[in-house]
Formats: sequence, structure tokens, C-alpha cells
Amino acid sequence: MNVITSRSLTKAHLFRTQTRGYATISSSGPSPSLTTHTLGPFQVFDRETKRKQRDRAAYKNGGASSRTVDYVRDEIADRMMERLEDIKRKFSTIVDLGSCSGHFAKLLDPSTTRKCIMIDSSHGALHRDPDSEFEVEVERIHADEENLLQVINPNTQEAIVSCLSLHWVNDLPGILIQIKEALQPDGLFLGAMFGGETLFELRTALQLAEVDREGGISPHVSPMTDTRDVSNLLGRAGFTLLTVDIDEVKVSYPSMWELMDDLRDMGESNAVLGRRHIIHRDTLAAASAIYKELHGTEDGTIPATFQVIFMIGWKPAPTQPKPLERGSGKTNLKDVL
Amino acid sequence: MTPTGTIQTTKPLKRLAVHATTTCAEQASAYGKCILATYTDVRRDICKEEFDKFGRCLHEAVRIDFGHPFRKLMCFPQMKRKW
Repeated sequence: MNVITSRSLTKAHLFRTQTRGYATISSSGPSPSLTTHTLGPFQVFDRETKRKQRDRAAYKNGGASSRTVDYVRDEIADRMMERLEDIKRKFSTIVDLGSCSGHFAKLLDPSTTRKCIMIDSSHGALHRDPDSEFEVEVERIHADEENLLQVINPNTQEAIVSCLSLHWVNDLPGILIQIKEALQPDGLFLGAMFGGETLFELRTALQLAEVDREGGISPHVSPMTDTRDVSNLLGRAGFTLLTVDIDEVKVSYPSMWELMDDLRDMGESNAVLGRRHIIHRDTLAAASAIYKELHGTEDGTIPATFQVIFMIGWKPAPTQPKPLERGSGKTNLKDVL
Repeated sequence: MTPTGTIQTTKPLKRLAVHATTTCAEQASAYGKCILATYTDVRRDICKEEFDKFGRCLHEAVRIDFGHPFRKLMCFPQMKRKW
């Protein structure tokens, strides 16, 4: 997952006594204050590029292109809503972290919550749809999702949700800790993020094409989190009563080209640090042929998998149900079974 | 199928996309099958022959799309000397 540039490797080779950071970014990277040697291991994505891509996608054709490709986010938001409906509680405010244009917020109704605070780093996406499309009152905060505590005070929120935004966050353990801090005791965190199987067809097709045509591979599809890791991370961040489950959305496309067009219009183009900025057209053509042969269906379309990890966690509170102490059981299991 | 050049689209990448999936579908499929047969051990140029056919078809199809010679010069400056 770490991106190591050749420059830092040379440096490490020349000055063996010097300690080298786990990962480095290019000099035009997003955090100028962090130098090669102080950068943490959690720099995978170029956040500034991602913001620009999402702004561009949201502004394209006055938002029409972006609305056409809402289908994935709307579907996931709908499934996430089912999970929120299972929670028999009313909230006065819900924070939607990385709200995009409010796919989840639009599904909220006054019986669940009074107000929704949408936070997103892309101004274009955040302001794409007018207030009239929402049933509840919305407040829009244009801020970086990675620094939640700069806009939300600790111990203030009843519920924080995040629908398909965490997969572009560099420091996932960090953001989960921030979410927990921002919540009141017994506050709810409900999230959905893309999991490791997402777009595996595109990933493999591009890799095979690059190996055959150019003799090497470069990241075109982001590294994504595994389900196992999510429960560990939630636990480590201090959430209790965890629920983690996975779901899949499969979408059929006529060919790889339409898939890539749609991904771009969703603002989901590649933003991995140290990525190659161009793909040779031979490689693209090869990938399209491989995608079709390797994964294509009988009706001539190609499938694209979006794996989603849903997570629910609660901030600990003394009032919450807890497991009994070890050894306090009175009934022998043998008698029951 | 032979390159027909009947499909007119404006963007170069879009044009490549159209020809890769329609005009040269046969060659694309042959190339894809070749990779599929060896995908556990892919090396550089392992399906060179199949790709060359596919690439030639694409090149031909994309080239026919440019009607005006001036467009040719703009899009393939490396071929300038030939004309």
C-alpha cells in the first residue's frame, strides 16, 4: 500500500544511517508541511486531485453528467437507509460525512431526524442539488473530510453517517477515531465504504493489458479495505456493539469504455499518489479486449462489481448493554444442548 | 469484419472506444482469448501477434475516420514526412 518513490530509495541507499519514512509523496503532494522523513504511512491518495476531479465531475454539463451516474450511490444510500431504519431512535441532527450531493440526506425524512449537516470537500458536489430536493433541513459545510474535528466539536453529535466517502480517506484509523470523538456517548456511527473486491474486473484487465503491452504494472484502481480490517479498525477506534456486513452491487456496461466514462463522471477517477498520469491507447484497447473475454457475460455486456462494506458502531456509554463478566454464567451449556 | 469507417465520433478516445468494440471486435476477441489462455503466466508481448492484428485494425479504422488531410497532419504529426 505504501508508495515509495525511486528518489527516496536512492537517498536511503546513499545515506544508510538516515532513517527513512514508510512512504513518501512527490514534491507536489498534498501536504507541503510534511517532508520525506516525517510523512506517516497513511498517505495513499492525492486528496487535492480527488477534490478537483469531483468538482469537475459535478460541474460538467451543469450537473447533468453527474446526475446520470448517481445510480451506484443512490442504490447504496438506499441500502444504508434500511440499516438506519432498523435503529429505533430519533435524532435531532445527523452529520453526513462526505455527503457528496446528498444521496443519503435526500432519503431522510422528518420522522427520523430534524436536520442533516452535510460535510464534503468538493464544493461542486456539495451544492449540486437545491435544498428543495431534501425533506429535512440541510446545512452544508465545505470542509475536508479528513479533518472532521475542525468543523464539529467533540462530544456533540447524536449520529454521524458516511456514505461512500471513506475509501478516499488516507488515514482511515484516524478518521474513525475523529468520528468517535465527535459523537456524544451512546452516539451512532453508520457508514458504507467500497471494499476490496470493488472493480476487480477492471483492475485485473488493466494489469494483464499493462503486463502484456508494456511489461509492468501501475496502480489504476485504488487499494481498498478488507471486511476483516474494518471490524478491527472500528474496535480499535473505540466503538462498541459493532455490526459489519458486506453487500455487492453489480452493474452491466456495454464495454469497459462506458464504465470508465461513468467512473470519471462520478468523480471516481484514479487518485493514487505516484500514479501514472496517462495510459497508452494500446494498453487501453488491450484492456478492453481482455475485460470482455475474461469477465464478459453471454449477452455481450461486461459486469462491474461494487462491493460495499456497511458498518455500524456506537460510542461507549454506561447505559449500553454489556456482556456479563467472564465466569458469571450459572447454566451449564451441556444441559441446554 | 473489415474496417468500414462509417462511424463518426468527435473525440479521439471515443473513436478508439467505438472501433475497439465494434469494427475490430473480432481481432479484439482473438487477442482477449490469447490472454485468457495464458493469464496465469503473462509476460511482455506474450500475445504480440494477436495484438498486432488488433492494433493494425484499430489504426486502419481510426485513420479512415479522418476525412480531411489537414486533420491527418494534426493528429499524426509523426507521419508528416510521408505526405
